[in-house]
Amino acid sequence: MDQLLQHILNALILGGTYALLGIGLTLIFGIMRVVNFTHGELYTFGAYMMFMFVMPLQTNFFLALILAVVLGMALGAIIEVVLLKPLRGADIDTTMLIMIGAWIAMQNMEQFVWSGIAKSIDNPFPVEPLVIGAISVSWIRIFVFVVACALIVGTSALIRWTKLGKAMRATFQDTETAALMGIRINSVYIATFAIGSGLAAAAGALLGPIFVVYPTMGDLAALKSFAIVILGGLGSVGGAAIGGFILAMMEELGAGYISSGYRDAMGFLLIIVILLFRPTGLFAQKERIG
Amino acid sequence: MAFTLKSYALAALALVAVSWPAQAQDTINIGVSEPLTGAVAASGNYVVQGAKIAEDEINAAGGVLGKKIKLIIEDNKSNPKEAVATAEKLIVGDKVPVMMGAWSSTYTLAVMPKLMEYGVPMVVETSSSGKITTSGNPWIFRISPTSEMEAKSFGTKVGQFGIKKADFLVVNNDWGRGAAKEFAKMLKGKGIEVGVIETMDAKATDLSAQLAKVKASGGDTLFITSGVEQITLVLKQAKEQQVKHKVITTGGSSSPNQLISQAGAAANGSNHLLFFAPWFPETAPNPEVAKKFVAEWKKRDLNFAGLTEGFRGYDGIKTIVAGIKAAGKADPKAIQKALWGVKVKGVNGNIAFIKQGPAGKESAQNVPNVYIVTIKDGKVSKL
Amino acid sequence: MNRRLIEFGVVLFFASVPFWLGNLYYLHILITTGIFIIAAMSLNLLLGYTGQLSLGHVAFFGIGAYTSALISIGFDLELTDTYTFVFEPKPVWFSFLCGIAFAAICGWLIGKISFKVRGAYFVIVTISFAEVVRLVALNWIDLTEGPMALNNIPPFTLGIPGLWELTFFKKEPNYWLVLALCVVSFVIVRRLVQSRAGRAMIALRENESLATSVGVDVTKYLVLATVISAGMAGAAGGLYTHYIRIVDPDVFLFIYTVTMVIMVITGGKGTLLGPIVGGLIFGILPEALRGLAGPEVQWVIYGILMILVVYFLPGGIVPALSNWWRQREDNQSTSSPGDAAPGTAS
Repeated sequence: MDQLLQHILNALILGGTYALLGIGLTLIFGIMRVVNFTHGELYTFGAYMMFMFVMPLQTNFFLALILAVVLGMALGAIIEVVLLKPLRGADIDTTMLIMIGAWIAMQNMEQFVWSGIAKSIDNPFPVEPLVIGAISVSWIRIFVFVVACALIVGTSALIRWTKLGKAMRATFQDTETAALMGIRINSVYIATFAIGSGLAAAAGALLGPIFVVYPTMGDLAALKSFAIVILGGLGSVGGAAIGGFILAMMEELGAGYISSGYRDAMGFLLIIVILLFRPTGLFAQKERIG
Repeated sequence: MAFTLKSYALAALALVAVSWPAQAQDTINIGVSEPLTGAVAASGNYVVQGAKIAEDEINAAGGVLGKKIKLIIEDNKSNPKEAVATAEKLIVGDKVPVMMGAWSSTYTLAVMPKLMEYGVPMVVETSSSGKITTSGNPWIFRISPTSEMEAKSFGTKVGQFGIKKADFLVVNNDWGRGAAKEFAKMLKGKGIEVGVIETMDAKATDLSAQLAKVKASGGDTLFITSGVEQITLVLKQAKEQQVKHKVITTGGSSSPNQLISQAGAAANGSNHLLFFAPWFPETAPNPEVAKKFVAEWKKRDLNFAGLTEGFRGYDGIKTIVAGIKAAGKADPKAIQKALWGVKVKGVNGNIAFIKQGPAGKESAQNVPNVYIVTIKDGKVSKL
Repeated sequence: MNRRLIEFGVVLFFASVPFWLGNLYYLHILITTGIFIIAAMSLNLLLGYTGQLSLGHVAFFGIGAYTSALISIGFDLELTDTYTFVFEPKPVWFSFLCGIAFAAICGWLIGKISFKVRGAYFVIVTISFAEVVRLVALNWIDLTEGPMALNNIPPFTLGIPGLWELTFFKKEPNYWLVLALCVVSFVIVRRLVQSRAGRAMIALRENESLATSVGVDVTKYLVLATVISAGMAGAAGGLYTHYIRIVDPDVFLFIYTVTMVIMVITGGKGTLLGPIVGGLIFGILPEALRGLAGPEVQWVIYGILMILVVYFLPGGIVPALSNWWRQREDNQSTSSPGDAAPGTAS
C-alpha cells in the first residue's frame, strides 16, 4: 500500500512536467499544423540554460528558471521566423522534414557546446524530504509540481481570456476566416511557437535539477510528448494536460508492478492502441483524419 | 538515357572524388577505445586523461624502441556496436599493433571477436565481467579485477558491515549483472539473505520505481553497480524516497569526490569499493608511482574526482609500453607474447598476468588490489 | 551508347573497386555504405513512390538483423518451468531469408494497422512502432541478450555444407555480396515502379482521393509497398548483422531512420537513383570529413544541409542534375554545330 501511494505521488509530480511538454506540442500542432520535431531540443535547451545560469554563472535559482523559459521562447520565435515562415502553405511532410533537420542540427550543437558528459544542477531546497507517514517527497519535486501546475493554469487562462488567446483560437478553427477578420496570422504563429517552445524549455529547466542534463535527453521527451498529444487528441490543451498525468501514472505503475525496463514503452504502446481503437484520442473535439 | 548516364557518372564521382588521408609511420600508435560521449562518458574521459599522462611521461623519457608513442583515441559512444566500429577503424584503418579499451564489459565483449579475427592484443583497463577472460580469447590482457575477485576481496571484510539482508540495484549489462551474481553468491556463502535484484538501463535517470521496490524489500544494505552519473542519481533519489539502506557501490567507478559534489548530503554514509584511493597514495603498494601520478593529475588541473578512474588509463598504457619494449618491435603477435612476461609498477599495484580460461587459449588476468572507502560528512575516509 | 551497356559498365566499375582501392578500411566504409543504400532504396519505395513518410523504417532493418542473427546462432526460450524451446543454429543463408521474411510479415502487420491513419498520425505510429521494438529488444534478455548485445554472429557462408563452402570472413567477398544485393534491390524497385502496381502507387501519392475514385484499392497497394519495402530493409539488416557480427538494441535508434531519410531526400525521393546518390554521399562524407570536423559538427552540417535541400532542391540532387543535363542537351541540339556556347540559345 505504501509502495502504491509512493508510486502515485511520483507519477503526479512527473505528470506535471509531462503535461507542460504535451501542451506545448499540441498548441503548435493544433494551430500551425506543424509536427514539431524540435520540441525535445527546446526541452534540452531549457535544461542547459538552467545549468549554465545556476552552475557556472551562479545566478539565483529562481531567476535562472525565468531566464531559461524566456530564452526558450526566444529560440522558438527564431525557429518560427527563420524556418517555418518561408514554408507557409507547404504540406505537412515538408515541414516535418525541415523540423527533423533542425532537430539534428540543434541536438549536435548542444553536444558540441556542452560535451557528451551529463551535467547536474544544484538546487537551493533542503535535502531532507517531506515525510508524510510512510511516503516521502523532496522539496524540489514539490516546487516543480507547483510551478508546472501554475504554468498549465496560466497557459489555459491566456488562451481563454486574452486577446492573443482569442486570436489563437480563431486561427485554430479557421485560418482563412481569422485572417479575413483582421487577425495577423503571422504574429499568432510566432506567439504560438514561442509559447509552445517556452513550455518545453520550462519542462527541461524544471526537470534538469531533479535528474541530469545531457544532449540526447530531448529524444525521449519529444517522443513522449507525441504520445501525450495523441492521447489527449491533437490540438486539445485540456486533453494534453490530462494525457500528461495519465502517461506518468502508467509509466510509474508499469515500472513498479510490471517491469521497470518497459517503463518507456508505455507511451508508445498507448499510441498504437489508441490509434487502433479511438484514432481521435480520448478528449478530441474535432475530427482529425482527413 | 542521358539522365541515367549523368547520374551514374555522378555516383562514381562521389566515390573517387574523396581524398583519403595519408598516414605517418615514425611513431608507434596505440589504439584506445573509450566511451567519450553517452551514458558513461565521464568515466571514459577520465581514463583517457590518465592514458595521456602515461603517454607524455613515456615520450618525455624518450619513448620506446627509439620512437615516440602516439595514442589514437576513438569514442565508442557508450555503445557496443560503436565499440566494434572503433576497433575496426583502429586495427584496419590505423593499423595499431595493440589496443586499450573498452571500459564497459559489454563493449569489451563486443570488441573481442575483432581481436581474434585480426590478431591484435588488447589491454582491458576497467571491465569486470568474468566472461571476458573465460571465453578463450588469448588476445585479452586484463589489468582490472573481475567481479568475482572484487566480491571475494570484499568478503574478507563483510563482517564489519553487519549485513543481514542485501538488495541490489545494478546497471542492466554484463558488468552490473555479473557483479550482482558474484556478490550475491559471496553473500549467500556467508549466510546473508539476498532480497531484490533490480536492474536499470544505463541511460535511465528516473529510478524511483526501482527504489520503491528496494524500499519495500526490507533489506538493510543496498549494493549499487553503475557509473558515477547513475550512482549520483540513485543516491539522490534514495534520499528523497527515504530508502534507509546502507549503500555499498562496487566496480570502482563511483568517483567519491564527484558524488560528494553532485549528490551532497545524499552521499554521506555510502561505502565504495575502489581500485585506487588517491586520498591516501602513500598506502598504495607503489607509493612513489601513485604520488607521482596524483601530482601530475593535479598539475594538469584535472578533476580530482576522476583519479579513481584515470589511473586505469595510466596503468593500461604503461603495461602496453612495457609489452612493446619487451617485444622489441611494434608487432601484434610479438607484443601478445611479451605481455605475458611483463612486470609493471602501476598505480594500483604490481601488474603481472596469470592464466584464465580454457587451456591452450587462455586470457591474461592481473590480480589487482581492492580498497574500501566511506564518505562521512562530505569527506572520504578509509575504512 | 546502349543503356544496358552503361549500366553493366557501372556495376563492373564498382565490382572492380577491391582490386585497386588498396585500403581495407575504406572497403569497410563502402560495405556499410552499400548496406545503407539498400535500406534507403527500401525507404524510397514508401517515402518516394507512395508518399508515406514512414519514420519507423529502422524497425524492419533491426528486425531483419535480429531475426537473422538469432536463427544463425540458435536460441532457447524457457516457455514454461518444465519446457524449454531450443532452437538449433541454422545456416546463414537460411537465417538471412528468414530475416527478410519476418521483416516482410511485420511490414504487412504494420501496414494493416498504420494505414488506418495518414499524415502526422501515420508518422507518429511508425515512430512508436520502432521504439516499442527497440524496448522489446532491450528488455527481452532471454532472447536478445538486451543491452549485452548478440555477439559472435557467424559471417555469411555460401555453398553446400560438407562439400564446398565459402565463408565470408574477409572484406572483399562481403563487398561483392553487398554490391550484388544492391543491384538486385535496384532491379526489384525498378520492376515494381514500372509495373501496374507501381503506377497505382504513384497515383496514390499524387492524389489519393482521385486514385480511390477511379478504383485503386488504396490500402492494398500501400500494404504491398510496405511489405516489399520491409523485406528489403530486413535484407539490409541481415547483411549488416552478418558483416558487423554484433547486433544490439541501438540498431533501432531513430537516428538511423533519419540517416535513411536524409539519403533519400537529398538524393531525390521517388527517383530510382536518388537513394544511391544520397547513400554514397552520406556514407562516404562522414569518413572523408573525419579529420576536418568532429562527428557533432558533421551532424550539424547534415541537419542544415537537409533543410537547405528541402528549401532549394525539393526534388533532390538527381532530378535537379538530370534537368540541368537535359536542358544542356536541348540547347546543344537546337543550336547548330559551331554555334555560340550552350546556354545562350533559348
